[in-house]
Amino acid sequence: MTVSFTIPTIETERLVLRAPAEADYAAWLAFNETDRTAFVGGRASPNTVWRGLATYLGHWALRGYGMWAVDLKETGEFCGNVGPWCPQGWPEPEIGWTLTGNAEGKGIAREAALASRAYAYGTLGWTTAISLIDPQNVRSIALAQRLGAWWDGDFVHDEYGTMGVWRHPGPDALEEAAS
Amino acid sequence: MKHSRQFPTLATERLTLRAPEARDLNAYMAFYTNAEASSWYGGPLRPDQVWRRLAEDIGHWHLKGFGMWMLVRRDDGQSVGGVGLAHPVGWPRHELTWWLLPHSRGTGLAQEASVAIMSFAINSLGWPSVETHIRDGNLPAHRLAVRLGAEKIARGTFPDGHDRDVYRLAPTKAMPFGAAPEREEGAE
Repeated sequence: MTVSFTIPTIETERLVLRAPAEADYAAWLAFNETDRTAFVGGRASPNTVWRGLATYLGHWALRGYGMWAVDLKETGEFCGNVGPWCPQGWPEPEIGWTLTGNAEGKGIAREAALASRAYAYGTLGWTTAISLIDPQNVRSIALAQRLGAWWDGDFVHDEYGTMGVWRHPGPDALEEAAS
Repeated sequence: MKHSRQFPTLATERLTLRAPEARDLNAYMAFYTNAEASSWYGGPLRPDQVWRRLAEDIGHWHLKGFGMWMLVRRDDGQSVGGVGLAHPVGWPRHELTWWLLPHSRGTGLAQEASVAIMSFAINSLGWPSVETHIRDGNLPAHRLAVRLGAEKIARGTFPDGHDRDVYRLAPTKAMPFGAAPEREEGAE
């Protein structure tokens, strides 16, 4: 007898969203050496980085959804994690993203976030979604705004402090806008 | 394409050992939010930290191919603790590690699970031996190590700043379940 579960792979125009894997650890260690970590809790020990990766996988097992690793289809290059996300202690499920920065300015994060949101609404049946963003993280806030999200108050986490709640348009509103 | 993983389940006389799942959250909460029970395991933790601990333990299976098993009593299906093989990145050596809910201490269940898991490590994973690392004051863990045929092979300071004895365990020397727990220090 065994315990098993499955993580789906999703393809977009330029991206593959796949299960996080041990190979991503090296990319995250490199990311960890940059100043971009300021908005995701700051620089961490290798052990903490690895445990974060393990948590991504465990989240899939516990929630049935979670963060994908995002690869550029053309080169296979890893450029971050994105996906529906709701660890215990979150106010409600969010569309989360953390990009390494090696594909910045190409709309990669937007493409990945849009695919995640479509999966959350279409496959998971969510009727609303938020993204939690550090108030100082202007790039991430700009992305939320490009996705049509609006500021819907703040959430204060015991450990991570204050995060802005950015509410996405719901599935009905998106459908209406598209028609 | 999909990512699928299957984790092995083991059976002992009184236990089913299986990888942790969502339904084990209550057992994790009961243990890790209990200050006394979890004091040697970084506890007590907040509920959101406990949830992440469970997620990490599941993720460890995905990333390493081994990890913690839940101790599920065969007679009533209750999860009473966890025993397993841990080697997160950043930790210097692999180890056999265990945690038990207070009501299941002194039952020999941790020893029973440990013997099955040591056997799995050597026979299925091909490990030459199994180690465990124990802080000085954790007497129940030291006593269990002795019952598992422990031989001290090193002592060192670990990344969390604590000194630990490093033991190599010997399944062939493990004492039968239920061996007198208070008198094993001098046992061969």
